[in-house]
Amino acid sequence: MRYVHLYFTCIRRSILSRLEYKKDTIVALSSFFFSNLCSLAALYFILQAIPALAGYSLPEVGFFYGFSMLPIALDHLFSDEFWLVAYRRVQEGDMDMFFLRPVPVMFQVFAETFQPEGFGELIVGVALISVCASQLTVTVSIGAVAVLCVGAVFGAVIITSLKVAMSALAFIFKRSGPLLQVVYNFSAYAKYPLAIYPAFLRALLIFVLPFGLFISLPVDTLLTGSHDPWLLSLAIIGCAAVFFALAVWVWTRCERRYESTGS
Amino acid sequence: MLKRYKPFLRAGAMDTLAFRFNILMWALITVCEVACLVFLWLAVYRSSVDGMDAVIHGFSFREMISYVVLTTVFGFVTFNNSTLWNINTDIKKGTVGNYLIKPISYRGKFAATSLGSLLTMTALFGLPLYAAALLVLSGLGFLPDLAFPGFFAHLGLFLLSGLCASLLNDTISYVFGVLCFYTSSGWGLNSLKETLISFLSGTLLPLAFFPAGLRDVLSWMPFAGMSQDPVLILMMKYDLATSLRCVAVSAAWIVALELFAKGLFSRAVRKVTVQGG
Repeated sequence: MRYVHLYFTCIRRSILSRLEYKKDTIVALSSFFFSNLCSLAALYFILQAIPALAGYSLPEVGFFYGFSMLPIALDHLFSDEFWLVAYRRVQEGDMDMFFLRPVPVMFQVFAETFQPEGFGELIVGVALISVCASQLTVTVSIGAVAVLCVGAVFGAVIITSLKVAMSALAFIFKRSGPLLQVVYNFSAYAKYPLAIYPAFLRALLIFVLPFGLFISLPVDTLLTGSHDPWLLSLAIIGCAAVFFALAVWVWTRCERRYESTGS
Repeated sequence: MLKRYKPFLRAGAMDTLAFRFNILMWALITVCEVACLVFLWLAVYRSSVDGMDAVIHGFSFREMISYVVLTTVFGFVTFNNSTLWNINTDIKKGTVGNYLIKPISYRGKFAATSLGSLLTMTALFGLPLYAAALLVLSGLGFLPDLAFPGFFAHLGLFLLSGLCASLLNDTISYVFGVLCFYTSSGWGLNSLKETLISFLSGTLLPLAFFPAGLRDVLSWMPFAGMSQDPVLILMMKYDLATSLRCVAVSAAWIVALELFAKGLFSRAVRKVTVQGG
């Protein structure tokens, strides 16, 4: 309970400090919106030239694209500070302030930043899904809706876990931003149906960096009923639990290796 | 005695390793991005009516892959964002005041720095990367044979348009940097600029895919000259007359944007708020 209160206090402070640069925040939010719009327009222009992409129609591809934004947006809202840990905070010795306070460091990093740009992504994603879904003719089962919800929420947990584990490596190597970037960028692959990739990449995206597991497979389940929705939900939740436990383990082990810069 | 210096030895080694590690990671990120695009285009051409032999909006599959590879290399060599960030830092730390009282032009300082960076990047990375990409791509039959009669004329025009692209990039970076005087922070403006350029310059997708009206407007805008046009000149997709026209449009825009930036700066400088570091 104390932590809930503490979290909201920190988040309020984060939003206040962001509002200091009001104009910049507005420009940032609109550019974020605009950037998603541009990627979508590019995809739309490409798909205009062909009848279907690997058997998927335009609204179906749009659905994949829109759905991929949801777990990414949820993660973006709550864990943006880990990018700074990976790129700068450890290297520049800023982490000292977190280590001096009587609250777990990982909690403080989560509470340091609330990133409203994630809402932009969430809105674009939901809008895109709604527009595409209205042009689809699929029978929607409760299971398919459930697995999509599980994919979005627990997918965000998996992305956050990857972020925590990768940024924790900065405690050892001083800077792990580029490594985090490599792992994170694989989420771009899940914007399109898995069917367009060769088998090894599909396996990688399901079993190693599971962006395909919680984005592509649930959408496939809705569109073609390719998987059992309840088993898939279970697999995603299990995967999220394992990833989260591993991330916490990696973080606590690496955290002990932190040494200040002394400057 | 020597033991005292051991940490420095270690720090030096780590610095060098970190630099190499960064280059390696950058290469890995780029390879992953290009690979994703290659798989996407592969699926697009496979799904098209004519299959892998299709020519979509004037691009065969092989030309499209060449385009993706070359725009990536071109972006790496010519894209330089330091002007915007330096202005942003000058505003945040208040050092902008120091430059305003020096007898050099604020704009000139950045233009010279960017040009220096462009020359180094071209010599160190650009020439070897272009040469490697061209040799591999034409060796694989993705590009016309390099013994093509007009190749050297195209190469010359390509280097000229590369210079224009870099200057355009720096001018636009400067304009957005000056706009930071109004917003006090560069994050939002920087991402807006990057989005605009990557979409409108044809980096994300060749402009031939855009609807006709938009495409015509964009062919007269400065953006195509920052990525698409130079690459298509190098790929010999443009004849010499079109290539010359592209360079002329870019040159005209550089002058126009510089004049605009001059006007903007003299207005914005009255707005400057030094935040005290």
